Amino acid sequence: MRYYETLYIVNPNLENEALDITMGEIGTELEKSKSKIINHRVWGKKRLAYQIENQKYGSFILLQFEGGEQDQMNEFNTWMKLNNSVLRHMTVALDEKPEVYVELVKEKPVEKEAPKGTVEETPANEAVVETTSEETETQSDVTEEESTESTEETETTEDVSDESSEADTEEKEAE
Amino acid sequence: MAFQSRKKFCYFKENGITDIDYKDVKLLRRFVNDQGKIMPRRITGSSAKMHRKLVRAIKRSRSIALMPYVDLGSE
Repeated sequence: MRYYETLYIVNPNLENEALDITMGEIGTELEKSKSKIINHRVWGKKRLAYQIENQKYGSFILLQFEGGEQDQMNEFNTWMKLNNSVLRHMTVALDEKPEVYVELVKEKPVEKEAPKGTVEETPANEAVVETTSEETETQSDVTEEESTESTEETETTEDVSDESSEADTEEKEAE
Repeated sequence: MAFQSRKKFCYFKENGITDIDYKDVKLLRRFVNDQGKIMPRRITGSSAKMHRKLVRAIKRSRSIALMPYVDLGSE
């Protein structure tokens, strides 16, 4: 069986509930042709390149499915044309089976926050460990006055490096 | 040399793109001039095979109002 993709534009003034209803209607209409729906999701509200029915914006909805009976699918095409809430639609044959869409938008911020905390915590812990070990070493080797100076120097340098690394990570996250 | 032109290359071959999606407007915009006309192969340097795919993708995205047929720049 072939796989198809229908991208259709719905009136942007529809509320979320009305949008869900129309999407449901379209889904049930398509399933009459024994097609199996793989993805049916809102792609987003976008500005149209040219006005359609005096609308400057439109909500784009992407529908990917495995084709059923050809005659019924042609009927679905005409039904979509007659549907008043659909401004425009286009069906395209796909070369490969589309992957099931998983929403990444909601998961991403959670992932971002978790590493942020760990990144900030780990360098601080490491720095503390390093400074203590170096202090003990320097104290054992050199006299006390020199050792304090050397430790101060090392601490300052480490602080700078820590700050720079944090700044780098922040920049990366911003990107 | 004064008339030495820089070597043209196929953008898609260079970046390992084999299929062009008509929904990828950001990519397609590169191959269209200010008026919204498809740029000729002799200027973009894309291969014949990829140019055919490109043209199909641009025309598809025009028909679903993602890209303009004519862009007069007036808002």
